[in-house]
Amino acid sequence: MFFIDDLLLRSLGISLPGLDMIWTLEQIHKFALKGYYNPDKIKNQIKETRLLYEFGEIDRQEYEQKNSELMHKLDLAQKVMEMDIGSKMDILG
Amino acid sequence: MARRILRAEKKNPESLGKYVYCVIPYLKERESFGNLGFNDEEVYTLDYRDMAPVVSDVTYRDYAVDEQEVEVHRKVVEQVMQEHSVIPVAYGMAFKSKKLLQIAMSAGYQAMQKAEQVVEGKVELGIKVFLPKDQENMNSTTRKEVSSDFLQCLKAVSADFKNLKLFSDRLVMNNAFLVNRKSIDNFSDQVGLLKDKYNNLMVQYSGPWPAYNFVDIHILGGKRRGFR
Repeated sequence: MFFIDDLLLRSLGISLPGLDMIWTLEQIHKFALKGYYNPDKIKNQIKETRLLYEFGEIDRQEYEQKNSELMHKLDLAQKVMEMDIGSKMDILG
Repeated sequence: MARRILRAEKKNPESLGKYVYCVIPYLKERESFGNLGFNDEEVYTLDYRDMAPVVSDVTYRDYAVDEQEVEVHRKVVEQVMQEHSVIPVAYGMAFKSKKLLQIAMSAGYQAMQKAEQVVEGKVELGIKVFLPKDQENMNSTTRKEVSSDFLQCLKAVSADFKNLKLFSDRLVMNNAFLVNRKSIDNFSDQVGLLKDKYNNLMVQYSGPWPAYNFVDIHILGGKRRGFR
């Protein structure tokens, strides 16, 4: 099946304003996902939270709540990384 | 008949999964450390040439990071460390059978022999220097001066050290030191002096730990399979 995507048009020097806008939005979305679901960043936050608890800056309850939120976020981030959300797939074959 | 075989297999410890906590030099005979393992299973030594992996029987599964389970792992290693020099094994190293564990031991034997020389008679001690909230904006020059002072004083009383990741903006220093068991008191005295000198900062002194940051053996590839 003949399939034209934005990259092909771009390589031919053709710029369609509508497609360009979608492409830009996709890049912003991808960038935001990478920032939000960055496992290394979340692991750092988990370690920092633990340290704050050990130094007595937060109490056990606050620590457990924050830790559980971050562990959930990490789990999600690892799944997102495995799925590689940024990659495109030609579902039309 | 089939049921009988299944039952016999269940009871046979050879066919059970093995969770490895650490590796110690072989002791001529099996040693038990009590029922400290996962599901209160017995922690005991197996033998591979002159090495003894410290294990407990488990039903094989994936070990996701769970605070309570990490604590079980930590407590077992802590107990073993009281009497032996240990080669640490990362949390989550479980093998489907004794046979697979022996294959891993065989693959990592040489690296473990080298590691044994590194950890012999030594422990790991950790130092973290953290900024209190009111000093969060300490400039980078002062930060460097503080960490350099800590490092110079503690290097003198340790066998080796590693710079670890500064995982927080408030962390000025995060280091692991390999210290001779006989020098622990000397090291602690130095930490005490530094704590007094920088009493406006938060200092965390931890250990003794197995030398996790000084032994890095990767066997069998994969993300969380084999020894680390």
